[in-house]
Amino acid sequence: MASVQPLRRTTTESDTISEEETQTLRPWSVIVWDDPVTPMSVVVIIFRKIFGYPNAKATKLMMTVHHEGKAIVWSGERERAETYCVKLHVAGLQATIEQDN
Amino acid sequence: MSKNRIFIRRRDGRIEVRLNEHGRNLVRQFAEDVVAAENDIDHAWHRQLQAPIDPSRDIDDPVSMLARQKSTASNAELVVLSVDEEFINDGEGWAWLMTLQVALRSLALNEGLLSEDALAKADEGTLVEVHSLQQLLFELAECLS
Repeated sequence: MASVQPLRRTTTESDTISEEETQTLRPWSVIVWDDPVTPMSVVVIIFRKIFGYPNAKATKLMMTVHHEGKAIVWSGERERAETYCVKLHVAGLQATIEQDN
Repeated sequence: MSKNRIFIRRRDGRIEVRLNEHGRNLVRQFAEDVVAAENDIDHAWHRQLQAPIDPSRDIDDPVSMLARQKSTASNAELVVLSVDEEFINDGEGWAWLMTLQVALRSLALNEGLLSEDALAKADEGTLVEVHSLQQLLFELAECLS
C-alpha cells in the first residue's frame, strides 16, 4: 500500500513578508490638487459621481482641496487608485497617486 | 427663476438646453479643441491632457493612458454630436460637463493661469472664455446634481 505524501510544508520561511511585499501592501492614495478656475460645485459633483460619496463628504473634500491646496480623496489598492485617477483626469481635475509612507 | 437658466431638468428626466447660437458655437469649439488635442501632439493643449498620474514615473502605464485618452475623446465627440440638440440625456449632460471642464483646465494651464494673481492679470479675451466656461459648468453641475 502506497504511503500518503506529507501535505504540509516543513518550513515557515514564506510566512515572513519580504520588504518588497510590505512595500506593495502599503496603500496608494489618490490626491486631487487645487486650481484657481474650476467651480467648487463642479468638484463636488465629480467626487459624488466617481466615488459615490454623499454630498457632505464630497463637499468636505472639496473644501480641503480649496483651503489646503490638495486632498487625499481615496486610499487603497494601486490598480483601483490608478483607475480613479484616470477617471478624475477624464473629468478634468488634476489628480495624482502616491504610495503612503 | 428657471427663465434665466441655461440647463433645465424636465419632468421626463431630459435636460433642456437653452443655449443660443453663440453659446452652442462656443461649446462646439471647445469640444472640437479637446478632440483635436487628444489626437494631435502639436496641439497647444496636448501636453495638458497627458500629465502623468504617478509623478514618480516619467510616463504612465500605457493602458491607463489609453483609457484616459479614449474616454476624454469619446466624451468630447459626444458633445460635438449633441451640441445642436434641444434636449440631452444624463449621459450626454455628463459628457458636456467633463469636456467643458477638461477645456477649462487645459485653457487655464496653457495660459499659465495657475494662481488667483495670474488669473487677475489675464487678458480680456482669455477671461471672457474662462468665465463663459465657468458659467456653463456651474449651471450644468446644478442641473446634474
